[in-house]
Amino acid sequence: MTGAVDGRSSDTIARAVHALIYRGCLRLDQNDFKGWLDLCSQDFHYTVSTYSPEIRREQIWLDHDYEGMSNLIRMLPKHNSDQTPLTRHATVYTVDHDAGSHEARAVTSVAIFATELDGGETTLFALARYHDVVDVGGTEPRLKHRTVRLETRSLGIGKHWPL
Amino acid sequence: MARATVEWDKRPDLPPTHYVHPAIYTDPAIFKEEQEKIFGKAWYLACHESELPEPNDYRTYQHPAGKNLLAVRGQDDKIRTFYNVCPHRGNTLVYAPAGNARHITCLFHAWAFDTKGDCIDITREKQGYGDRLTKKDTALREVKTEVGFGGFVYVNLDDSAGPLAEFIGHALDGMLKCLEAEPLEIFSYHRAVVSTNFKFWHDTNSEFYHDYMHYHNRQTSMLQPSYWEREYVPFPNGHAQVGDQIVKYEAYEGFAGRDLSFPGLPRNGWKMVDLFPGFTYNLRGSALRIDTILPLGPGRTIIEYRGLGLKSDGPAERAQRTRDYNTIWGPFGRNLHEDLMGVMGQGRAIGKGQTFILHGREEANKIHDEIGMRHYYAEWSRRIGRRSSDPYREPAA
Repeated sequence: MTGAVDGRSSDTIARAVHALIYRGCLRLDQNDFKGWLDLCSQDFHYTVSTYSPEIRREQIWLDHDYEGMSNLIRMLPKHNSDQTPLTRHATVYTVDHDAGSHEARAVTSVAIFATELDGGETTLFALARYHDVVDVGGTEPRLKHRTVRLETRSLGIGKHWPL
Repeated sequence: MARATVEWDKRPDLPPTHYVHPAIYTDPAIFKEEQEKIFGKAWYLACHESELPEPNDYRTYQHPAGKNLLAVRGQDDKIRTFYNVCPHRGNTLVYAPAGNARHITCLFHAWAFDTKGDCIDITREKQGYGDRLTKKDTALREVKTEVGFGGFVYVNLDDSAGPLAEFIGHALDGMLKCLEAEPLEIFSYHRAVVSTNFKFWHDTNSEFYHDYMHYHNRQTSMLQPSYWEREYVPFPNGHAQVGDQIVKYEAYEGFAGRDLSFPGLPRNGWKMVDLFPGFTYNLRGSALRIDTILPLGPGRTIIEYRGLGLKSDGPAERAQRTRDYNTIWGPFGRNLHEDLMGVMGQGRAIGKGQTFILHGREEANKIHDEIGMRHYYAEWSRRIGRRSSDPYREPAA
């Protein structure tokens, strides 16, 4: 972490980025998808990607801008969706910020667990990393770009929710 | 009025072609017979030629009959398929799902084979075998392979099987001009591992009555008059074509029509063919989806999903096809997740109370008619020698 912006120290910016990412995880864990999107900037872009060694190609499995994510979330109640809760265990590995820039980049390791509604058994749903670009220029940091880079490619019946 | 045991266990007052017994989805002995008598004999789609585009490219493949195979594009550009097993001590030859190798060398004792399956090296051959066994006496086990119907690699474990074209017949005729106008290329692959029987997935692909579970399909298809005119056309060998339709994508809030299409497919068009013993060509809008199944047991199934576009696609077209495909059919797609919930639920419930499974809707072969499933199970019964409605009854003499 290097540099500062608008008089805030690097440590202050890093702490704000950490807090944003963890708060986002909590909101996603609570299925508060609208609340999670409130943490994102209007030029937000969300992508779920992975690499398929089977076909030796990059895969983009979900790709939306702010409006697309907003629409996806708004339409959820109309769909039949598996309601097995997901819980994220996240660790922010790095936060990088150049002096004077209004953007910080963060890499977060995330393990996503599914807990059965009937019986409460918990299993690992997916391992991934969040590659985030965070707008730190305003009074509150905002998520500007998130790539969920999946390590796990076998996702059972899949999911309608953002990870 | 709710049913007590006597009423619940009673056979439906329908022809025996119009319902099946749940044991065909649960009985390990029947599953074993399916592997031998159906998957061991029928042509099956293994992968697409674009998954091994260059000479020496290979692609591993788990065959539904329980064999591990390896498709290889030879230096002569021909695609061959072999058992992915070393003839020496039975070790797995290739571990990575895809790659490129001039020679296939077993890591265990370094026996090596060329892309035609011929053995080209036995380490310390003379010292160990003298003249009792030489390279010429061994080779990889080759499997009947043909490439066709859109550049797909088909395999058949039965050396005496007839040609692929004979097996497919005319089932794909209505789609062929779209599949073969120009080369296709894979852009998406993923798997779903589900605790369900493989036939439940093919059942779901073979009937559209379940469209009630899909909000997207209710909006974009069921509300369109042409939906109700779609007609099933059964073909020999258990295949069935679903009638064409134009999808109104823009009827789903936030979606727009699909500007990209396929050669010969009208804008926002939809064509679909279900093929025995359980794979599907589904061409909709800008992308072709191929479903194949890899049953792991009667109650556990891997379903593979492939998305294909045109090899000639530029980056913008490919990105558009990828978005279109995954919005509906990817692991986070609006439709696929719902379909998988359906078969997962069947997998949980089957054998735990249901006496018979109905396939009895008759609507002049139109979209909610269940003739697609009935046609499949007629072929299933013929091949396996059991009635799908009464699998434990002695076959008629």
